[in-house]
Amino acid sequence: MSLTAKRASRYIIALVIIFTLNFVIPRAMPGDPLTNLLGEDVILTDSSVIELRSEMGLDRPLFEQYLDYWHGILHLDLGYSFHRHSPVAEIIFARMKWTLLLAVPSLLTGGILGTILGALAGWRSANSCQKASTAFFLAIYCTPPYFLCLLALYLFSFKLDIFPLKGFYDTGSAADIALHLFLPVLVMTLFSLSRNYMIMRGSVLQEKSSLYAAFARAKGLYDAEILFRHVFKNALLPIITLLAMDFGFILSGALFVEIVFSMNGMGNLIYDALLSRDYPVLQGSFLIITLMVVSANLLADILYSRLDPRVRWH
Amino acid sequence: MRHNLRNLAFVLFLSILILGTACQGGEESSKVVLKIGTPNVVKSASILGDSNMGVWTHLSNPTLMKMTEDGKIAGLTAKSSEVSEDGKVWKFVINDDLYWSDGQKLTPDDVQFTFSYLRDNLPSAGWMKSTIENISVEDNAVVFRLSKPYSRLNLEFATYPIQSRHIWEKVDKPMEHTNEGEIVGFGPFYITKTDLDAAVIYLEKNPYWKGQAPKFDALEIHTFSNMDVLSLALEKGEVDAYYKYAGTYPYASIQKLKDTDNFDFVETDNIGLIFLGMNLQKEPMSDKEFRKALSYAINYSEILKLDGLGYGQVPNAGFVPPSMMDFKETEKLEYNLTQAKSILEAAGYKDSNGNGILEDKSGKDMKLAFLTRNDYMRTTELVSEYMKALGIDSEIKTVDSSTWIKQKDAGEYDITVTRSTPWGMLMHANWGTGYFDSRRTGEGVLHVLDDPVFLKLCDDILSSTSDDQLKDYAYQLQDYYAENLPAIALYWNKVETPYNKAWKGWYSDPLYGIFNVDNFLSVEKEQ
Repeated sequence: MSLTAKRASRYIIALVIIFTLNFVIPRAMPGDPLTNLLGEDVILTDSSVIELRSEMGLDRPLFEQYLDYWHGILHLDLGYSFHRHSPVAEIIFARMKWTLLLAVPSLLTGGILGTILGALAGWRSANSCQKASTAFFLAIYCTPPYFLCLLALYLFSFKLDIFPLKGFYDTGSAADIALHLFLPVLVMTLFSLSRNYMIMRGSVLQEKSSLYAAFARAKGLYDAEILFRHVFKNALLPIITLLAMDFGFILSGALFVEIVFSMNGMGNLIYDALLSRDYPVLQGSFLIITLMVVSANLLADILYSRLDPRVRWH
Repeated sequence: MRHNLRNLAFVLFLSILILGTACQGGEESSKVVLKIGTPNVVKSASILGDSNMGVWTHLSNPTLMKMTEDGKIAGLTAKSSEVSEDGKVWKFVINDDLYWSDGQKLTPDDVQFTFSYLRDNLPSAGWMKSTIENISVEDNAVVFRLSKPYSRLNLEFATYPIQSRHIWEKVDKPMEHTNEGEIVGFGPFYITKTDLDAAVIYLEKNPYWKGQAPKFDALEIHTFSNMDVLSLALEKGEVDAYYKYAGTYPYASIQKLKDTDNFDFVETDNIGLIFLGMNLQKEPMSDKEFRKALSYAINYSEILKLDGLGYGQVPNAGFVPPSMMDFKETEKLEYNLTQAKSILEAAGYKDSNGNGILEDKSGKDMKLAFLTRNDYMRTTELVSEYMKALGIDSEIKTVDSSTWIKQKDAGEYDITVTRSTPWGMLMHANWGTGYFDSRRTGEGVLHVLDDPVFLKLCDDILSSTSDDQLKDYAYQLQDYYAENLPAIALYWNKVETPYNKAWKGWYSDPLYGIFNVDNFLSVEKEQ
């Protein structure tokens, strides 16, 4: 078996195990989709409960439900949500587009800016400006996301009245959507940027004292050349792992932002499904996240092997 | 390079400012729009499947009956109602000046269709199957023939919005039916759009409405996932009033709104309440003396002060709040630790090993499983402390709502802090019976009381046919609560609904608060 085939089979086994866990974990929690379906002040007779459970397929043996689950996956059918009254695939794709609009720009901007600024901060000797920027990014990095979101909203939406308080849009025009997304994207970018900045700075500080960097300096290479041609590549490895993880959790990572800005995104969807034990939505969302995490890992593996000759595709 | 970057950043910031100003400037309109802010987020635009959406529908699809400000039942879609002497035939005469927003007339046939359709398709209307034998149209009235006397039918019909036959007869699975566009209604306003991504539900005037004309042009319901942001939206003037089904504006945030001097409050006595529920199927909660002692161990004034911030009053042993119809003044609950201890001692609960914890009747230290949810954490901790002072240890288990429901239904708890909603207090045989009757189940109900005396009282109420008789049963029931304490009310609270002073004429009913047809016909913008 070739190395690529071995690796591919490893990923397939991982997917099967994770998909099975996606089925098991929601069912291991107390309650089921019927528990929280009708509202707190509704009374039911036992026969109504039995009827509903049967309609939702909850009265069937677990193994049968498991087989159904796999049947659905293999036929690209994610099931039906009794809480949201729609097929799960429709719900997820409707939400996903918004979350991607929210998360992709912030991850890209935060990734690129954080890496470059962090590399520069780690390479150059610390002046007062760099000390201030490091302190600033450290403060952002340490701030609870929920608090930072509220703070940004309070300052820019409530006090300065520049941005709206909630939702993805009012009128639905492109400018209106951009205006609604700007502040949440800014907050997410700041988070991503500050984390990448701190890690890249630390990584470059470590690499800077390596022998190969001293050798390059002795050869008479310019600072920028040493940093961006030699040190940068080696310092980038931890960031790649983190970016791959970010990409994997891109759909669920915006939860706090979505709650504060009342946005109907994937984070909110998953959180709500968790509270209401909406198995089909949980399974569908986790399935998409699993695929993204596995693909991101695969991509990270490939990038690692390209960047670092010590890491090979095996 | 650095200079260019700085310029670029400046231009970007300027563009955003211009964009923001331009977008906000575009919102100017001559229409008078009332905006309500709510934390009741709609999950899907299903008026029968989503409980929050169901509440918003009450304005576009009014109910057959309504509850008035003083808790009485009156006609809404129905002009009048009458019940036969044996309580088995109800006749509702339908108003003949109601029109759907698509121009068609609302007929008794629509009403008949609604209840037949709900009976067959809506799980929460399952009780109709065993109660309603036949629904017929006689002239301009709808007649319900019941299999048994049911005195609460007119009250039940204050909660089901009337649907149009010509729209809904084509829908096979109403619970699964969603519609984010226009929903045909016959109220003064009808839903034109449910925009979940903008978090707004839009309602416009019904062009065919013949009743009293609304005093504003449109209504918007803005949903917020975060209560702090909703408070900011109120302060900023982005929404004009607050609404939460079966809930109040957070007491801790009231003063901040008052400080702006832009807000007034509709203050009403809640008919729902916060109470201490007990698993009556287990020892020692099944012991009446134990429950009595527990009721003396609770410092009600302190709970009211710390949890309700003083917005309410110390409750009576009769559980039912004074804002409910046929309230009876029973003994006020009293904090008296000495009395509590002596009751327990007399009942045989003693601390024989002197470790500060009483032993139960089998001789083991008492440690109760205290099941609670985050919403009631503060009250739970207080009650746990009071129990400790009495010599009863407890283990607090804080869980999410689904786990609470599951464990509560499985009886895996001893005591719990929970609440009743206004409709919860009215459902089943009224006066909170739906929370305790062991023959029923449901998400928020405890269904732990199987005392034949209580069950008979419930059945008597349900089949009662005269107001005097009903009042007598209501009094008996409150005496039963006071005597047996199947649950202990912790405080009776107020419902505070803030609204911007730019609007006047607010009206609230005990069931749906300000979200009722009369309110939206009365509210107007100050000139």
